[in-house]
Order: sequence, then C-alpha cells, then structure tokens
Amino acid sequence: MPAFTRRSFLAAMGAVSLSGALAACGGDDTGAATEPVSQSDIDKAMKTPTELTFWTWVPDIEQEVALFEKKYPAIKVKVVNAGQGTPHYTKLRTALQAGSGAPDVVQIEFQYIPTFTVIDSLLDLRAYGAAKLKDEFVDWTWGQVSGQNGEIWAIPQDTGPMGMLYRQDIFDTYGIGVPKTWDEFAAAARTLHAANPDVYLTNFAANQAAAWHGLMWQAGAKPYVSTSKSDITLNVNDDVAKKVAKYWGGLAQEGVIGVETDFTDAWYTALNSGKYATWLTAAWGPVFLSGSAKSTAGKWRAAPLPQWDTAKPSSGNWGGSTSAVIRSTKNSIAAAQFAQFLNSDPETAKMFATKQFLFPPTKALLTDPGFVDEPLDFYGGQHVNKEFADIGDTVNLSFQWPPFLDQVATDFTETVGKSLTDKTDTVAALDQWQSRITAFAKNQGFTVR
Amino acid sequence: MSGGRHRAAGPLFVAPFLVLFALLFLAPLGYAAYLSLFQHKLIGGTVFVGLDNYVKAVADPLFLRGVLRVATFFVLQVPVMLLLGLLFALALDSGLTRLAKVIRLGIFVPYAVPSVVATLMWGFLYGPDYGPFAQLGRIFDLPVPDFLSDSWILGSIANIVTWEFVGYNMIILYAALRTIPKELYEAAAVDGAGAWRTAWSVKLPALKPALLLTLLFSVIGSFQLFNEPKLLWTLVPTVIDTAYTANFYAYSLAFTGQQVNYAATVSFLLGLVIVIVSYAVMLTANLRRAA
Amino acid sequence: MKVRRSTPLTIIMLAALAYFLLPLVWLVIASTKSTQDLFTTFGLWFSRAPQLFANIGSTVAHDGGVFTQWLLNSVIYAVVSAVGAAFLAATAGYGFAKFSFRGHGVGFNLVIGAIMVPTTALAIPTYLLFAEVGLVNTPWAVILPSLINPLGLYLMRVYAQDAVPDSLIEAARIDGAGEARIFFGIALRLLAPGLVTVVLLTLVTTWNNYFLPLIMLNDPKLYPITVGLASWAAQAQNGNAGANSEMLSLVVTGSLLSIIPLVVAFLLLQRYWQSGLSAGAVKQ
Repeated sequence: MPAFTRRSFLAAMGAVSLSGALAACGGDDTGAATEPVSQSDIDKAMKTPTELTFWTWVPDIEQEVALFEKKYPAIKVKVVNAGQGTPHYTKLRTALQAGSGAPDVVQIEFQYIPTFTVIDSLLDLRAYGAAKLKDEFVDWTWGQVSGQNGEIWAIPQDTGPMGMLYRQDIFDTYGIGVPKTWDEFAAAARTLHAANPDVYLTNFAANQAAAWHGLMWQAGAKPYVSTSKSDITLNVNDDVAKKVAKYWGGLAQEGVIGVETDFTDAWYTALNSGKYATWLTAAWGPVFLSGSAKSTAGKWRAAPLPQWDTAKPSSGNWGGSTSAVIRSTKNSIAAAQFAQFLNSDPETAKMFATKQFLFPPTKALLTDPGFVDEPLDFYGGQHVNKEFADIGDTVNLSFQWPPFLDQVATDFTETVGKSLTDKTDTVAALDQWQSRITAFAKNQGFTVR
Repeated sequence: MSGGRHRAAGPLFVAPFLVLFALLFLAPLGYAAYLSLFQHKLIGGTVFVGLDNYVKAVADPLFLRGVLRVATFFVLQVPVMLLLGLLFALALDSGLTRLAKVIRLGIFVPYAVPSVVATLMWGFLYGPDYGPFAQLGRIFDLPVPDFLSDSWILGSIANIVTWEFVGYNMIILYAALRTIPKELYEAAAVDGAGAWRTAWSVKLPALKPALLLTLLFSVIGSFQLFNEPKLLWTLVPTVIDTAYTANFYAYSLAFTGQQVNYAATVSFLLGLVIVIVSYAVMLTANLRRAA
Repeated sequence: MKVRRSTPLTIIMLAALAYFLLPLVWLVIASTKSTQDLFTTFGLWFSRAPQLFANIGSTVAHDGGVFTQWLLNSVIYAVVSAVGAAFLAATAGYGFAKFSFRGHGVGFNLVIGAIMVPTTALAIPTYLLFAEVGLVNTPWAVILPSLINPLGLYLMRVYAQDAVPDSLIEAARIDGAGEARIFFGIALRLLAPGLVTVVLLTLVTTWNNYFLPLIMLNDPKLYPITVGLASWAAQAQNGNAGANSEMLSLVVTGSLLSIIPLVVAFLLLQRYWQSGLSAGAVKQ
C-alpha cells in the first residue's frame, strides 16, 4: 500500500515539479507509518529537539501553543499565518507542488479535507494514536475527518452548526413570529418587505457557497459521494437541491430577500443599520456579530434554522476547522502529537472556546454548564451557546465534500449565485452548475456517475 | 578607430543584464512553454498532450470572451485616458493655468497608489447603498447609476484604471512638450499663431513619438488587465466572474482549477494577441521601430 | 511675452484635480473613524469622535508591530531593486547604445518584447524554479525578478545615445582610458538623470507589486505592505471563525500610511521625472 501511494503521488507531481525527480531518488518520505507507532518511539520523539511549522489563521493561538510547548519543552512550534481561507489553501497547494515550503501541521476546514487527500498530502493519524480520541468528539465531526478506508485525516478544532440569529425588535415592530418552518419564513419575508421596502427578512449572499452547502446539508442532500479516490457521484441538482433552489430563487425573484455579497463593508453597514432582520449563520456567528454590529447590541436573539420537516429537526454545518499533518513532514510523530494535543487537551479546548470564541467540537465542553449556560448580553442575556449546542446535535451525520472544492465553489457563484442576483431561474442555474463541475471532474480524470 | 579591446567591451556591458534576463525571464518562459504541452489531472497525473491545450484554448468560449472584453476595454478606455492626458499636458504646458505645479503633482499622485488601495477606495465610493455618490444622489434626488452592476462594471473598472494612470501618461507627454525648442514657438508667434494654432502645428507633431509610446504601454496594460477586476471581484463576485479578463482566467485556471498547464497555454496565447496588436498599432502609426 | 492666465481653464483643471484627489480625501477621512463609525457615518465627512492617532496607534501595534515590518520590507525590496535595476539597465543600455556587436539588435528587441508577456504566465514557473534552488520565501524571491526592467533598459539606451557623445568617448579612448574607466568615470555621471528616472520607475513598480510577492512569500514577516494590507483586508472580508470586522479600520488607516512614503518621494524628486522621461518620449 505505501509503495503504491508514494509512486502515484510522485507521478502526479512529476512533470509539474522538477523536484519530483529528486524526491524519487532521495525517497525521503518519512511520514506515512501504517503500523502503530510505539509509545517508546513517541516518547523519544517528544524529547528530541524539533521545530514544527504550523500554518493557522486563528488569532492569538500562541496561548494554546504555549501549553503544548510547556508540556514538551524540546518541541518548538513556529506559528505562521499564511492567509485566511482560499489564499491559505492556494499557498499550501503551491508549496506542495514545489515540494518545499509546506508546513508540518496545518489548519484545514472540514470542507477542504478531500481536496487535500486526493493529492495524498495528509498524514493518516491512525498510527499515531488518534483513534482513541474518537469518543471525545461529536459524531458528525469525527465523520468529517475520517477517510473512506477508516483513515483519520485531521483532528476537529471547532465547528459551525447553522442556526438563525434574528432581531427581536424588528420582529416585534412588524408583528412577526419566529419562523419554525421554511414556509413560515417565506411568508414572514413577504410580510416584512411589504410593510417596509427598506428592510429584508434576510440576506442570502450570492457568493456564499458554504452557506448554500450548509442549507443543502440541512435538507438532507448528498451532492458529492466518493466511493473511491477516482470515482465520484455528482448530484448538485438532485430533487432535494432543486427544492432548496426553487425556494431561494423564488424569494430572490420576488425581491423579498437581499442577495448582496457578505462580509463587505456595505454588508456590515447594512447589519448595523437594520436592513436585515435575520442572519442565517453558523455557531461562530454570534460572537462575530457582536463585534461587527455593535450599534445593535441587545436586539438579537438566536434560534434554530427554519425546518423542512418539524418532526425531524436537522441542521447543516458552515465552516469549522481541524488540524492536519502534512504527509511530507520530517517530524511526523511530533506533528501528530501536536495536532492531537492542541485540539483534545481540556485546557486548550477550553481556551479556544473562551478566548477565541471558537465553537467546540468536544462532547465535554458542549455539556459543560460553564460554557453552555453563559448568558450573552448582545443577545439579551440568552444562552446562545446552549442554543447552538442543541442545534449541533441535529446536524446530519454524513455529508461528503468534493475533492476540488475551490472549483465547485467558484462555479456555484457564477451559476447559482448569479441567478440570485440577476433574478433568473435558479433551478436552471443548478443544472448549469452540475454540468460545469461534471465537465471539470471528467477533465481531471475522475469517473463520474 | 575600432580596436579589438573596445569591441569586446560591448557584450561585457550588456552581459549582467542579459544573464539575469535569461535566468529570470527566459528560463521561466521556457518552462511555461514546456508546461503548456502537458496536462495534469488530479486522477492520472501528468500526461503529454502536445498542442491539445492550444487547440482547446483557441476554441474556449471563456478565453475568447476574456480577450474580447479586454479588447473592448482597450478601445474604450485608452483613447479617453490618452486624450485626457494630452489635454492636461497641453493645459499645463500652455502656461495659462494657475497653480500648475500643484495640479500637475495632484494628477500624478494616483500613480503612487497601489492598485490594492485604489480598488479599496473606489470600491467604497461605488457602493450602491452606503457609498457617498449613492447617498448624495438620494439626498438631491438625482439618479445615480449602480456602478457595480452588470451594465456599468466595465466602465467602473475603466474609471479606476484611468484614475490611476492618466497622471503617468500626462507626465510623459508633458515632458515631451517641455523639450520643444523655443525657436519653434518664436517662429509660430512671428507667423501670428494663437494658442490653439500653436498647439496644433507645433506641439502635436512633437508629441507623436511620446503618444506612440503611451499608446503601446496602454495596449500591453489593457490586454493584461488583472489587478482591478480581481480586487473588485471580492465585492461583486456575481458580476465579475473568474474569467472576466484573459489574464484573470489564466490566474483562476492555475490557482482555483489547479490546471497549471492550461493556464500556461492561455497566458501564451494572450501574449501572442498582445504582440499582434502592438505591431498592428505600430504599423498603423507608420513609424519605424528603433532597432 | 507674458501669457495671460485663463481663469476658466484653471477652474477646469482644479475640478480635474478634485476628481483625482477625491478617493484620497475619503481615505484620510475614513482613517479618522473607528470601525463602527465606518459602518454608520457618511463617507465623505468626519464622525463625531475622530480618532486618527488612536487608529494609527492600533495599526502600528497590531500583531506585534507587523505593519512597520511590512513598511520596512517594502522599502528594502523597492530600494534594492531600484538601485540594482537602474545599474543593470545603465550598463546594458550603454552597451547597446555605444557598441555594435553581433546580436545586439536581437538581444535588445528580445528584452523589449519581454514587456508584452503577461506576468501570470511567468509567476508559477518562476516559483517552481525558485523552489528548486531554495529561494522561495526569501527577500531574493521578490528582489531578483524586479531587477529586470525592460522599460528601464529602453530608457537608458535612448538616454545613453543622447547624453553621452561619441566624441567624448573617443577622446577618452585616445587618451588611453579603459572601457570600464570611461563608463564609471565619465558616462555614468552624464547618465545620472536617466538613472534617477529608472530608479524611480522601478521604485514605484516594486513598491506597488502585489502579485509576485503574494506567490513567492509565505511568512507574513516578509510581506511587503501591499500583500500585508491585502491579507488584513481578507481577514475582514472572509466569513468563518477568525473573521474580524475590526480589521477594516486597520486596513483603511494602513492604506493611508502606506501611500505616504511614495508621495513624499514624488514630491522630493519631481524634476527628475521630467528630464528622464523626456528622453524616452522624444526619441525613438
């Protein structure tokens, strides 16, 4: 097995990177242990002076890293912020292609894991003791980091189960009840906008493929199913997706929701001025909102997403990161231990939740009253964490991501997203999206079913 | 008068530049040419495909659309920019303007602003809800176009580029004007020529080489248009798509689609288009290139 | 002969000036606002509580003072590249202008043709080649490519043709001076204004360079100011945990601070622009 994967990995890199030839000769693939590494080997490695490079964009993560360095004084971790989101992944890919400059440990969001496992760039952490952490993490997060053959590609760090933040004061002014179903939501959207043309019930950002996927996840869609590395079933336009598309496309065409790009200064201004009465967002949303829309403090509340079927409440996930180890690292044991420690140690996990306000994936914190029962003033004293912890329990267990996420997300924006801003047929746009990603997948050598 | 010693010096003088040029330009260019003959697939690795990438690119609607768009941009934006540069240069050179030095510097300052900052500023000013133009329009009840909409976006990008580079072109033309010998002006004055006549028959002919230079730079700049669309794209990703200009397409292919080889092909073809247009421009201007 | 000033023309030109300075005015005003005020006040006028100095303080202090590091990086990259590029362009321009040797026409045209190649074509191959020799993520990755300035070569060749008379060179040769001595002792002095122009041109291009350093550099401590500001902007504009709208006020203030050095340089070195560019503009 290892020989096969090493050969195909190098073949892929061959003509594109000259250093591929060098690697084939030198063969310094010190990663990939498939036999469990013995405790004595681990102990020895943790006492050997080593420097690890860790690419992450979590602010002030040095505090958690310091706890690791205190426990293992021989290991020094160099924290590098190589960008946030797409630029970070682009740099990582380029460094992997060139065969040099890649870090040892890297922050990877759940949705990007297949994009990096398809090029065999992540280290399987099973051999390094990661399997024993399984029960500490919420089931669906563990599913997200597991591979088709039981590999453990990363350790979950934080999550983003989706819920709804709403302006209690706007609802009160216009007599709107908290929508429990999507039908109620649509009706509320129409009522609100008719009463005041300057206000919308919500903004569905036309560029936000992640939110779209979260909603598809909630609806039970399974758009990407990989049975093996080279086989993939693409179904972004199945019936479930069409239902979601018809819903949102309809609301956009009626003009009762906003469709502007999110996280721009115009959007921030809109939130501050009360243009949008709700924000369908993830568990990291509440703290983010309290920092970005200070002028609306105290007026927001949290609730679950409206449901398609109130008998079976469900939700999806938007964002959330993990720590993964790069396969070509020269310090696989130290790196694997670091990734595991950082995200499962009770103290660091608690710090992530309380200092950086990352929403935890660990069962311990999600049941810890100190965390869930914390009242947030921005939300009128509501226990927002509990709200999202409960939502987290309803996230559908299995949802796979495609091994070429950047392409899929860009194609989404240019087809489905564009149909929302142009107020054209979103269901037809869904078909366009499907054909674009199918063409790409075939062009890249996948067998598409 | 030619000793062997100094004939050998010529190559020695140009060697440092040319060696670096070979290493930093020709080598990557050659490598890019090499890359364009292959295709890398996520499943299956890298295969030699010969000229298939070129065949594909020439028929690729996204590439063709991107080229057409920058060609349109060139035809619309460059004449406006050069005309403005010319008018400003003439106005400042004529001596009829007060505060000429301040104005000259002020028009040139945008050149010092990196496109990241320029797009940030204009992106804000263009805002349809909270941008100052829109807000003023609402206060005075004047219709203000949505600068970031489908119909206006190319013009809005053209505005940013013009804002950035008019000063640069103006300075080149102004410098050329400053070198016109006084005798020509005196001769014109003796003939009784007024300001306009002088501009037409003395200044413009002297500006021809400078105008050609700025035109050629503009050809290259327009067809390579990348920074401004890419930076505005984060604001309106459904109006500007990732293949908006040919250069942006090449970038997206390489970094989003991970198709480095096809990206190299597209870049080469774009370079070819630029060379053809540049030569066409020069032939039309009917001036011999200095060899 | 005194020329009568025209008021209408002055007014038109001042209006043009206003257009060019408008975005910069916005930048100055925006830099005085807190992030919250950015979202809630009118763009072209101040907020009730201007806090320019506080903003500058936050910008400079953020993330361990990385902003000043970025400014310093930009200065180093720009100055080293500019001086190096000017020197290389001067020697090569002099060589092409004053000597006739086999292949000099081809060599020159090849370099000038290089301006036409889109930078995206070269970015990844250059990155891969640099990775081979371990130059990626070092200052050289940014400086080396900036040393080749085809426009600079063109200008220096034209300038050398004009400013250094053949007769002067011949006289020096007859006196027994070596070529190097002629170049460094006599020609370089005459080429000085053109040199300054190339220095300034390369300075601006390297200072404003965004794409190349973005690709070549991973470590934020090596970023020039353009890439640094863009990374802050990305943090403010990217959804997900870790997004931080507070960054917007830093981006705005940082942008203002980043333009100042170049504008000051322009002010101080105004006259060199003209004399150098005029050579290239007038001749062919």
